[in-house]
Amino acid sequence: MVALVIALALFFDFTNGFHDTANAMATPIATGAIKPKTAVALAAVLNLVGAFLSTEVAKTVSGGIIREGNDGIQITPEIIFAGLMGAILWNMITWLKGLPSSSSHALFGGLIGAAAAGIGFHSINLESLLQKVILPAIFAPLIAGIVAYICTRVAYALTSRHDPETGSKLTQKRGGFRTGQIFTSSLVALAHGTNDAQKTMGIITLVLIAAGTQDPGSGPQFWVIAACAFAIAIGTYAGGWRIIRTMGAGLTEVKPAQGFAAESSTASAILASSHLGFALSTTQVASGSVIGSGMGRKGTTVRWGMVGRIALGWLFTLPAAGIVGALTAILVKTGVVGVVIAAVAGTAAVLYMFLVSRKSQVGHHNAVEVEEAGQAVRFAKKKALARARAAERAKANKPKDAQR
Amino acid sequence: MKWLELLTVAGATLTAAVTVVVLYSLGVRLTAIAGDSQTVAPAWVRYFAYICFGLCGVAVLFGLYLIIPYFSG
Repeated sequence: MVALVIALALFFDFTNGFHDTANAMATPIATGAIKPKTAVALAAVLNLVGAFLSTEVAKTVSGGIIREGNDGIQITPEIIFAGLMGAILWNMITWLKGLPSSSSHALFGGLIGAAAAGIGFHSINLESLLQKVILPAIFAPLIAGIVAYICTRVAYALTSRHDPETGSKLTQKRGGFRTGQIFTSSLVALAHGTNDAQKTMGIITLVLIAAGTQDPGSGPQFWVIAACAFAIAIGTYAGGWRIIRTMGAGLTEVKPAQGFAAESSTASAILASSHLGFALSTTQVASGSVIGSGMGRKGTTVRWGMVGRIALGWLFTLPAAGIVGALTAILVKTGVVGVVIAAVAGTAAVLYMFLVSRKSQVGHHNAVEVEEAGQAVRFAKKKALARARAAERAKANKPKDAQR
Repeated sequence: MKWLELLTVAGATLTAAVTVVVLYSLGVRLTAIAGDSQTVAPAWVRYFAYICFGLCGVAVLFGLYLIIPYFSG
């Protein structure tokens, strides 16, 4: 059972990785700052590094939402198994729909559902749930969105230049933000590694403690850290192109300066929150930033229909993962046969979704529509020479990418 | 409720992001001025642009230094 749970946890880490590549790399891919393949490779490496950097979050994961410990209820590996099942299935569904949804919420939802079904409703700490999941879910996109809005405004105000006599526009060199995007998006990937890989480490450590092979209260062991780091890195490299498309082109068109502003806000928000102890979801922060930066630039429309779909997805994350978690917990309760049925059904569902995804492929070649890039080029020609050159470079890169 | 922590996070996010964006934007603007073809800008503008980019990098590194427990630990 313990081995099964660890395998499942690592698979969850993998889905977490490819679900969240978009957070870091959607905007630089959309603006042509980094080539898609390079972007996911960079994100993978930085996730790996980030996972090793800090294990602070791992120690405090799921703590509190389910009343565990001496005076509370003992979490069993079975509950965690059921919770992970719910989280993975929801991650796969949202990936198929191209919705950026929070992997951490899926995990929490799965665990809550599993605990409620497996142990009873009294095992859930409602106050802690409100404080750790529901409030951050409201404030994460809000904070990130407002900050990104301000940053975009500032970036455009500082770089806009007009000739004092004629009033015509001067060279603005906003293409320079493209270079900056490489660094800011790297920072987001790093932050993601320090944040999200930790959750799986925390889960595996929890299982090991529950199984009695590790002392309670000790941190994650080295092989756990290494395994999680690699699982999330491989997942990131696999790349959730569907979600990259949504984040990079579905919400609003992204220009380099906007992308830079959005990514700086995302990175600061994630790092600040994970450091100061008010955990925010990476996905929600990133989506909020993209929307905020879209509102910050004049002449950009935010596609509110898409925003609505994403928000709906967030609303469903917790209950949907919870229901799957609960069903699995009930199955698992029946004994070994139940565990086998749950494992087989889960694998079948994941395989089915994978097969469905093959029908309409979204890969690095078409993650961000060429149409969008064409618009950007036409837009640039009206502007300064420098920007046109940068856009043409991006255009020149496009066919190369398509060939591969 | 952890309203204070929420405020701290919001404040820290705003400060960090605005610092980085302001410095980088200044850098971009100064490079643009230095690159103007009609009017020759003084040479210090270009160096000032580099200083802005450098400061931006330092700000990011300082943030990382604060966050990685290995250093601040």
